[in-house]
Amino acid sequence: MLEGKQNGHVFKLPKVILLAKNITNVELEKAKAAGFADTVIMKPMRASMAAACLQQVLGIGKKRQAGKDMLNGSPVLQGLLCGKKILVVDDNMAHQRVFAGALKKFGAAVECRESGKAALKLLQLPCCFYACFMDIQMPEMDGFEATHPIRMMESKANEQMNGGMDEDSGRKGEWHVPILAMTADVIHATYDECLKCRMDGCVEAL
Amino acid sequence: MEVGQMQRRLVDYTKSLFMEGFLDAQFLQLQQLQDESNPDFVVEVVSLFFDDSEKLLNDLTMALDQPNVDFKKVDAHVHQLKGSSSSIGAQRVKNACIAFRSFCEEQNIDATLRCLQQVKQEYYLVKNKLETMLRLEQQIVAAGGSIPMIELGF
Repeated sequence: MLEGKQNGHVFKLPKVILLAKNITNVELEKAKAAGFADTVIMKPMRASMAAACLQQVLGIGKKRQAGKDMLNGSPVLQGLLCGKKILVVDDNMAHQRVFAGALKKFGAAVECRESGKAALKLLQLPCCFYACFMDIQMPEMDGFEATHPIRMMESKANEQMNGGMDEDSGRKGEWHVPILAMTADVIHATYDECLKCRMDGCVEAL
Repeated sequence: MEVGQMQRRLVDYTKSLFMEGFLDAQFLQLQQLQDESNPDFVVEVVSLFFDDSEKLLNDLTMALDQPNVDFKKVDAHVHQLKGSSSSIGAQRVKNACIAFRSFCEEQNIDATLRCLQQVKQEYYLVKNKLETMLRLEQQIVAAGGSIPMIELGF
């Protein structure tokens, strides 16, 4: 279980999740060593997996119980996503609909957008989304390109807050919306790209 | 035909689609997402798949018909088709797309043309099967019955 990545903030920054269809042990160890969560979620994209993933990322709950909590309708996972606003960004309509449907089954309030540009509009601060799942292979503006301005905006806002306590969220002035990359090809380069542009995880989409 | 018989027929038919590899477990996920608040979920998603695929197959045909084939474009279309087909569990279409993409990488025009034929074939097959299955479901619902859930024991 990932604890206190990088910095000693009270609010545990969302951890990085690597979700892959086929991940070699080497890659998994590398992910762990780099401070990424140790959760590997097998594809295809299931809401139960996504929820378990988020659970890890947000530091909720205790140890990873691989396979145990990953039941449809599991009360823990249901609780996690229930009423939460999730943004799904994917230009593939069938996949978007299926994934959104699955998240909704867990009680999430899902918004969908087909492009990075459209997503950016929704992710302006103050951000009301609990998490964002973003396809990184979209024309025009892909997931990486969309994440960059978001992180810039967050950094700026965080600097301005100057480490002061935000009464509402109880955070130490850390804006950071969890963004999880969705990709159909989890290749090494993609994984590195995710790290570089400060996405919180990489999910292999269908 | 009474409802029970129709339901059995549907179950057998659906199971055969899994046995023959037309559908994989992802399709079951779709069925599980259908409920009272989302009674037409499967039909909606399958329709999206049909719409996506028809368009992509057209685009692919045009792209491969060019004097100088843009393999990146071709690959992008196949990538989308692979995404749609896997989302609904159309296994054979998905597998055909995977093969297709590897030939795109090699920029092999003959092989990619063959792949296109293959994908088209698989698509029309599964389209036919799904339409038959959905029709059976409609008949059951119209007769006042409910759609049985499939349990896969293999």
